Order: sequence, then C-alpha cells, then structure tokens
Amino acid sequence: MPKSALRLPESTLELRSIQSRSFEAESEAKILAATVAAMQDMEYNIDTVQIDLGVITASKTTDATSNSAVVGYTMLEILCIAHGTYCDTSEKIPDKFRTTITMVVLPSLARRGEFTARITLHYVTINTLGKVMKRESIVKAETYQQVFEILSNAIFIEANEE
Amino acid sequence: MKSGLKTVLIMLSIVGGCATQGPDVTGASSQLQTRQIQTRQYETLDKKMTMRSVIATLQDLGFIIDDADPNLGTVTATRLHKYPMRMTVVVVNKGEKQVSVRASARIGKKSVTDARTYQDFFVALDKAMFLTLNKVD
Repeated sequence: MPKSALRLPESTLELRSIQSRSFEAESEAKILAATVAAMQDMEYNIDTVQIDLGVITASKTTDATSNSAVVGYTMLEILCIAHGTYCDTSEKIPDKFRTTITMVVLPSLARRGEFTARITLHYVTINTLGKVMKRESIVKAETYQQVFEILSNAIFIEANEE
Repeated sequence: MKSGLKTVLIMLSIVGGCATQGPDVTGASSQLQTRQIQTRQYETLDKKMTMRSVIATLQDLGFIIDDADPNLGTVTATRLHKYPMRMTVVVVNKGEKQVSVRASARIGKKSVTDARTYQDFFVALDKAMFLTLNKVD
C-alpha cells in the first residue's frame, strides 16, 4: 500500500465545501425522496439505499467513444500495416464510462429543518475490450454545482406537490 | 522517412489519447419532461402493495431485482437478455389516497427517453396492479 493512501490531502476542506450544500426541507423523508428523484432526473439507477444513514448510491453507464480517438487509432493501425508491422490499439480506445454518485443527506445538528447534502462522484473508463483503463474522482466544482442545481429543483418540486 | 513516421505515430497517439472528455454526469434530458413520461399516478393500491406489483411486473419482464427499499419505495432491477437493461422504479405516496410510480431505464450506455417504452411498462404494471387488487397470486 502506498504510504499516503490514507493521509488526508491538503485540499480536503476545499473539496468538502465543493461537494456539500445545505438545503431547507420539511422533513428528512421529503428531502430523501427528492434526492432519489434527482438521481432519476440525471438518468442514474439506484444501487443502494441506507435510509437510516441518509446514504443513496446510484450509477450509470454512458458512451465514452470519441470519433477523433477512433479515427486517430485507426490511422495509427493503417500506418503500422503500411510499415509491415501490426499494432492493436483496441485497448487504447475508450468505450464507456461507469459513473457512480453517492449522496449523503443528513439533518443539520444545529438548525431544525436544514439538511446537508454531500456528494461524491467518481468514474471508470472502460476500453473496447471491456477492461478498465482508468479510475478517477470528479473534483470539478462546476459539475457539483450542476448536480446541486438539479437537486435544488427536485426539492422545490417535492415541496410543492400534492 | 523513419523519423517522420515516428513523429506522426506519436502525434496520433496524443490526439487519440486526449480526445476523450469526461462522462455525462447530469444527463441530457429536460428535468420536467422526463418526469412526465416516466410517471403514473394510481389510486387503487397502497404503497406497499404497489411495490409488490412493481416487483412482480419487473419479474414478468425478465428482470432480476438488485435492490429494494420499502421506506424510500425504490426498486432497482437488471435484465441481461439480448442487451443489458437497468431500471429504477420509485413508489411514493401522494396525499392520502394516491401513489405515484416513476420508472427510469437505461439500455447499455443510453438512457431510455422514448415515451412508448415507458407506456409499455405501465401497461404491464396496470395488469399486475389489477391482479394484486383482486388478490390473484
């Protein structure tokens, strides 16, 4: 195991603030229902729900093929053949992303009716041979903002239904 | 000539390697429109019985149940026949007499956005609900 595997990086606090947001809701049940709906809005399938702990994990598989990558590697193979050699580039061509989102929604200890949602996102890139090419966490603030916007809309809809 | 080819090969590898962007995290469809085609309201059964009907429908359609939570009303199922399909169905109470059922599906790398597919699912669910309501096992 690498020495720093369990060491908190300096960016922990910054990342935590990017990944967290407070929301107001009538009840824990309502905000959890809105969270599930937001996951469906973003086209995820729910993998696990631990309602007592406020944990919801969902995932989806999306297309990772890019035309320029396919064209680039096909040209590379043609050039190899033209030079009398063989190079198989299939393991370098990305085929799909498997994105997993975990949302933890907990009631605020300080304020009644307020909840904190913390999201973590990561994805694996799988090549055309079905092998994992890379695993990455998403740390881009903009992506989390977009997710929180969808969650915020879902909470609004949940609060105004019935 | 050889070094020229080498340069082209290196450049092509770089182009190919860099061309992939990150995954689509938030989905491409409109939040409200998607909900509309994926949701039906029922007045006949309660939440628990509706969930039972949902599970029976998914089984009728050849799915295997991955996860179900009675509190949140979620059921997730997978079918691998011909093509991989994954569905999440959520049953929630709407007021005292109504339940709302929302189904969302993915086939392989794509989200199902076709209204007809969801309509077919709800036709199957209607039948299961009728059988549950009339206590037919």
